[in-house]
Amino acid sequence: MSFLGLGGGAPKLSSEQKVQAAEAELDMVTDMFNRLVDTCYTKCIEKSKGYSEGDVNKNEGLCIDRCVAKYFDTNVKVGEHMQKIGSSQFPGRR
Amino acid sequence: MDQLNGREQQEFQKLVEQKQMKDFMRLYSDLVQRCFTDCVSDFTTKTLTSREEGCVLKCTEKFLKHSERVGARFQEQNELLMKNMR
Repeated sequence: MSFLGLGGGAPKLSSEQKVQAAEAELDMVTDMFNRLVDTCYTKCIEKSKGYSEGDVNKNEGLCIDRCVAKYFDTNVKVGEHMQKIGSSQFPGRR
Repeated sequence: MDQLNGREQQEFQKLVEQKQMKDFMRLYSDLVQRCFTDCVSDFTTKTLTSREEGCVLKCTEKFLKHSERVGARFQEQNELLMKNMR
């Protein structure tokens, strides 16, 4: 598995470096997942008046699905935009 | 990650297990914090009132179901992203 193109097709790495890269990738995915859980919980879960039910209701579920999809969308868009700005500001690098 | 050889896989697996334990402890304390903040604000009693307790139970259940659902969507979106990158 590779995330945002990291970890794929890298030049020859030592064993230690490869495990480190895999660890960094795992940390990044875990971190993103935790942020996502947190953010979408804040945005989607109705917690007014002390939680009326333990289930995730229809509205909340729909909101969660869209929240995750949009988070990924945002992730890609920010990445692309940063790259664009980066390549125009430091034209020699890419 | 699939380019790791057997020994590296093993080493990585060990790391994963350590992280899982840590992650679980973090999930637990985060959940306590979250449900306490959302459910308990009356300090005229020393123990949880039945309303507070009910709220805490619902809060816990809801959060776990929430993160399960986020996990499922996360996996789908991640696979989609990988496919588009190839």
